[in-house]
Amino acid sequence: MNAIYLKLRLQLNALLCKQELIADYYRELSQQLSHSVSKMSFMAFDLEMTGLNSQQDQILSIGVIPITSGVLQLAKAEQLLVKIEGSVGNSATIHGIVDEQLVDAVSIEQAMQWFLAKTKGHILVAHHAPLDLCFLKADCLRWLGHEIQFVAIDTMALEKKRLLRQHDVLKEGSLRLDACRNRYGLPVYAAHNAAIDALACGELLLAQMAAIAGKDELAITDLMV
Amino acid sequence: MDASELHPILQFLQDRVPFDSLDEVTLCQCCKSLTIGYYGKAAGFVPLEPDNPQLYIVRSGAFEVRDKEGELLDRLGEGDYFGFPSLLSGEHANTQVAILEDGLVYHLPPEMFDLLRQKSRQFDRFFNRAFAKRLRHQGRFKAKDLTTTSRITSLMSQTPLTIDMKATVAEASRLMRSVRVSSVLVIDNHKLVGILTDRDLRNRVLAENLDGNLPVHQAMTTTPVVIESNALVFEAMLLMSAHNIHHLPVIENGQAKGIVTSTDILRGQSSQPLLLIGEIERQKDITSLIQVSKQIPLLLQNLISADARAEEIGRVLTSVTDALTRRLIVLNQQILGEAPMAFCWLAFGSQGRQDQAACSDQDNGLLLAHEPDEAAAGYFETLSRAVCKGLDECGYIYCPGDIMAQNPKWRMSLEKWQSVFDKWVNTPEPKALMHASIFFDMRSVYGPQSLFDGLQDSVLSKTKGNDIFLAGLTGNSLTSAPPLGFFRKFVLERDGSEVKGIDLKHKGNALINDIARVYALSAGIKEVNTAKRIRALMEQNIINRKDALNLADAHEFIAHMRLSNQGYQYTHSLPITNYLMPKSVSSLVRHQLRDAFKVVHDGQVGLKLKMMRSY
Amino acid sequence: MDVQTLTYLIVGLTFALYIGIAIWSRAGSTKEFYVAGGGVPPVMNGMATAADWMSAASFISLAGIVSFVGYDGSVYLMGWTGGYVLLALCMAPYLRKFGKFTVPDFIGDRYYSQAARTVAVFCAIFICFTYIAGQMRGVGVVFSRFLEVEVETGVYIGMGVVFFYAVLGGMKGITYTQVAQYCVLIFAFMVPAIFISVMMTGHILPQIGFGAELVDAAGNGTGEFLLDKLDGLSKDLGFAQYTEGSKSTIDIFFITGALMFGTAGLPHVIVRFFTVPKVKDARVSAGWTLVFIAIMFTTIPALAAFSRVNMIETINGPESKGVAYETAPEWIKNWEKTGLIKWDDKNKDGKIYYANGPESEMKIDRDIIVLATPEIASLPAWVIALVAAGGLAAALSTSAGLLLVISTSVSHDLLKKNFMPDISDKKELMFARIAAAMGIVMAGYFGINPPGFVAAVVAIAFGLAASSLFPAIIMGIFSKTMNKEGAISGMITGLLFTASYIVYFKFVNPSANTADNWLLGVSPEGIGLFGMMVNFAVAFGVSRVTKAVPQDVVDMVESIRFPKGAGGAHDH
Repeated sequence: MNAIYLKLRLQLNALLCKQELIADYYRELSQQLSHSVSKMSFMAFDLEMTGLNSQQDQILSIGVIPITSGVLQLAKAEQLLVKIEGSVGNSATIHGIVDEQLVDAVSIEQAMQWFLAKTKGHILVAHHAPLDLCFLKADCLRWLGHEIQFVAIDTMALEKKRLLRQHDVLKEGSLRLDACRNRYGLPVYAAHNAAIDALACGELLLAQMAAIAGKDELAITDLMV
Repeated sequence: MDASELHPILQFLQDRVPFDSLDEVTLCQCCKSLTIGYYGKAAGFVPLEPDNPQLYIVRSGAFEVRDKEGELLDRLGEGDYFGFPSLLSGEHANTQVAILEDGLVYHLPPEMFDLLRQKSRQFDRFFNRAFAKRLRHQGRFKAKDLTTTSRITSLMSQTPLTIDMKATVAEASRLMRSVRVSSVLVIDNHKLVGILTDRDLRNRVLAENLDGNLPVHQAMTTTPVVIESNALVFEAMLLMSAHNIHHLPVIENGQAKGIVTSTDILRGQSSQPLLLIGEIERQKDITSLIQVSKQIPLLLQNLISADARAEEIGRVLTSVTDALTRRLIVLNQQILGEAPMAFCWLAFGSQGRQDQAACSDQDNGLLLAHEPDEAAAGYFETLSRAVCKGLDECGYIYCPGDIMAQNPKWRMSLEKWQSVFDKWVNTPEPKALMHASIFFDMRSVYGPQSLFDGLQDSVLSKTKGNDIFLAGLTGNSLTSAPPLGFFRKFVLERDGSEVKGIDLKHKGNALINDIARVYALSAGIKEVNTAKRIRALMEQNIINRKDALNLADAHEFIAHMRLSNQGYQYTHSLPITNYLMPKSVSSLVRHQLRDAFKVVHDGQVGLKLKMMRSY
Repeated sequence: MDVQTLTYLIVGLTFALYIGIAIWSRAGSTKEFYVAGGGVPPVMNGMATAADWMSAASFISLAGIVSFVGYDGSVYLMGWTGGYVLLALCMAPYLRKFGKFTVPDFIGDRYYSQAARTVAVFCAIFICFTYIAGQMRGVGVVFSRFLEVEVETGVYIGMGVVFFYAVLGGMKGITYTQVAQYCVLIFAFMVPAIFISVMMTGHILPQIGFGAELVDAAGNGTGEFLLDKLDGLSKDLGFAQYTEGSKSTIDIFFITGALMFGTAGLPHVIVRFFTVPKVKDARVSAGWTLVFIAIMFTTIPALAAFSRVNMIETINGPESKGVAYETAPEWIKNWEKTGLIKWDDKNKDGKIYYANGPESEMKIDRDIIVLATPEIASLPAWVIALVAAGGLAAALSTSAGLLLVISTSVSHDLLKKNFMPDISDKKELMFARIAAAMGIVMAGYFGINPPGFVAAVVAIAFGLAASSLFPAIIMGIFSKTMNKEGAISGMITGLLFTASYIVYFKFVNPSANTADNWLLGVSPEGIGLFGMMVNFAVAFGVSRVTKAVPQDVVDMVESIRFPKGAGGAHDH
């Protein structure tokens, strides 16, 4: 994908979009693409869901952490819990969030509003981004009644490309976040929640960027697979 | 959001000195202020922004701090810091930080750094000290000195004797008597409020003619001088001498955790081997001597865990061996009677060089003042057999090469020894050169120094400037090379399909021993200890100062790695070997090891150039 | 396959062999061999020494000189062989007992003077430079022919190869590499000689063929002996008779002497005696070296005569009238490309003709004889390629040794001991490499602008050695009264005298280089012996009027002269 093409498409989207919130989102994003990668703003994020099906399952928690000028900003790291219909059920064993914690949580509409406001003007970063984006798109459609297109870097796809280029055989589990991080000597984080996973994913992106770039200047298209 | 959600980072900082001195709230605040960067090796250097000084905390990877001239100041790995000098001095960084291995680095902004320094005196002191240390350009491979780096917790009594402040002095005295200690900590509601010592009882109770019902808090020393549990032994010693006290309560978060006395510190210091040697010299018979020698492995273990310098460990262990040998000779002479002539007990090889380690074998010989008659020969045969047997029973196994005083071949008069050395020097055959590594590192353990000097002087006068012999010796020592292949990759040794790792002894220390030996023999230097040889060579300007320091550092570092590896093997009940798997150590240590082996390689090249006129 | 491809192949194979041996011996398998066998066997050491000693000069140029000047050329054979005997028997055992690895170190210690050492170092470096120049020329000739370039370009390529080999390759100084080099060079030398001998005389051994009857193509005797035929041919073409010398007896005597005493003073060969642990083994290996040298040296006269006859016959044709250029043999055209053969059709008859005098139309460089012999005799292409490999082996083994002497002398003896006592190992190594590189560059210059033929250039090196180092060594061993003042002034006058004589006749005024202008009729090649006498005379004169030798040095000299002095050669 070409950066200019991407930028033009976003501007076009902004013109065509009737929904002011989303159009504004596109405009801000397209401006980001004029910067060089080292100056671009990214937003690493992670979702905790009740399951993997975007039609049935619901978002429980969103963690975000911005990367500006190639540095992760812990001060701006945030995590949000989202109210759900029904109970977390058995999925609690995976994300560790129990129903009591969700008492003070915000509604999904508030959460989406918060997410769009937070990530406006940032390129999204997630490990296995397509899944997370599916949930976000579905919720956004429900909330605003309007489609939204996200621009995101998938650290997993990036890693897969790099591994295949080195002619490594992809083993079971070799693309999991922890396995990927291990390859770059990044520390093991025992605890998991949306914020920590977002942080972990952000760190992985920085490592991948350093590995891909070497001494050269990076282009955004190097990161979009 | 709540910083506890970033628990891994919080936890990482919590375990680091000096962040461990911060309270939870401050730490969370600090944690939230961080930014995180990643530095890839290809970039070469960490871009230190002069306008935006920060404290850099290494989370993973390896880095090198160099000054403007490129001189190495420090090596950094996980948990180390850089960037603090400009934060402290307010001046622009005049150092460069090279990236050795890709790594994740946390950045702490200057405002937070200053805040933390205000909040915690320890935090402030830590970085000021680190700054001062870096200014002194401390050497790179230096392992730690026993006294300065062991922590107070390794010495203190774990469960301190405590008493409530409302108790009476009589109760306190009885308690102290029952546990046989000279002090008790006085607490009020789990908080330390004072200390009561023998001296207090004498000065404030008995001398004042007060009775035993006096409450403790009236007799005790209030607000005693205390020490934090993570302080160094060295700091405890300073405190004691500054306040002229012998008891130091150890506190952690305001609670008494233990107590350290001056006796504890003395015992923990070099007095341990001294005690052992004293004990050896007190033994009246051979059986009890053997019993005492059982403590040697424990001594080694203690030395290793105290992080003592490898050179010190070698010297300490060797002095124990020397003491044992001397005691065995004395005890056997008490049985056999006075020797018919003056003689020296010679130690060769590692004992000669004073770098014995675990499970050394014996290499020794006997130097007689003159040619013995039959009776004298018989006497010395019996004596040397008994001593060698005693050493064997003390854990120094018989030499597989039979280089021992009990072998008549190595029991000779001064004149014979001289001619044997002459032969080796004049005809540097392979066998003679192999002997060189053992026999030319000789030291007298027992006997008149003048007799030994007679031998050593004549040997050194032969070797000094004898280029042909030295070239042969060099050629022999160059037959093995440090385990570095092309592109400085480690070359692992294999035994069939089994990978054994890198041989730290034979491919590391032994090669440095060889280099130092050739130079020392070429210059007629009497020292046999490798570190001392290198020092002497440097002083006489035979080796360039920088080369010499590098060589000495590399020797210490490799030996240190070998010992700590063996300590690990010992505690994990693995067979004790000289092999180290590079994977089992951190990337920083791997880098240092590689550098150390490179120094060995360079040393060999230099030796070849000078002694063999070749490269 | 054509000659060029084969040359690449064979040269490549021999290099692969040297590298292979270097790697194998580095890998430590030699260590086991060493311990088990008690050192390198004397035979092997003998071969290695022979390789060190037989330079490109002896391989490429010696046969050429003998071939062109006939009997006079034999002075080189006599001088070099005699020198080796002198070195092996009279000097090496004493030097060894002294415990010094290099000649400058011996001189420095014996004359208790840093100045004496420094002078000796300068002499040694000077000699080695001259010697390497000869090697460069030889390598240049080899490359120019087989890569079909000008000889200058050949020298440039040769400089690169020698630099790589000696400074970067790390293959030198390994005994087994040198054994391989000896094998390659002696094989390369003997194969063509045997071929030609069988073709021309029916004898396998060239040494016998040399004095034998010639045979025709069918193998029947012609009744004519080789040397008679050569004498006849030479006379017809206006050359001096082959078996008769043209040089004066005194010149022959001086050249032989200079070569002989020069050999004994050569710094890089002496070291070989010290790498053998036992003196007895050192003697045995010296004996073997002599045998291995003799194999080549006894073949040289035969090969020279064979190729001379062959060459004249192929150029001038059966009737000695010359042959048409178009029908001239291929080798003439091949060598024309190198500039080492030139044809000038003076009488415009389109024929080539070779003779001594103005009517000769051919100019032939003597250095090509050995290399061209297989082509002249129409031997198979692989023999031609083999000779190239042999020439390279000879040049490489000698240059490597010489460059080491130059570079370590500069870095250690000059810089470390005189100017920069605090130099680090790394710097010392760097200076050593720089010195080697400079040595090659300077040698390359003289290789391109040679003051004589390869062997003659080398002869000058020997002359310098004879006039400077040899007397100092001999007096150091055999005179208790020679002091430092005497030795230093002797070395300096000897070297200056000889060098200026040579420079005058070879460079300043080459046209005057005839017997009439020579001092007592001694040519520049032989002046070294004269310089040696001057050295002795000055040294003795000066030592008489200066301070006596300290007693400890007198004792030292006495102790090395003791018979058992050969370093504990007794019972073991």
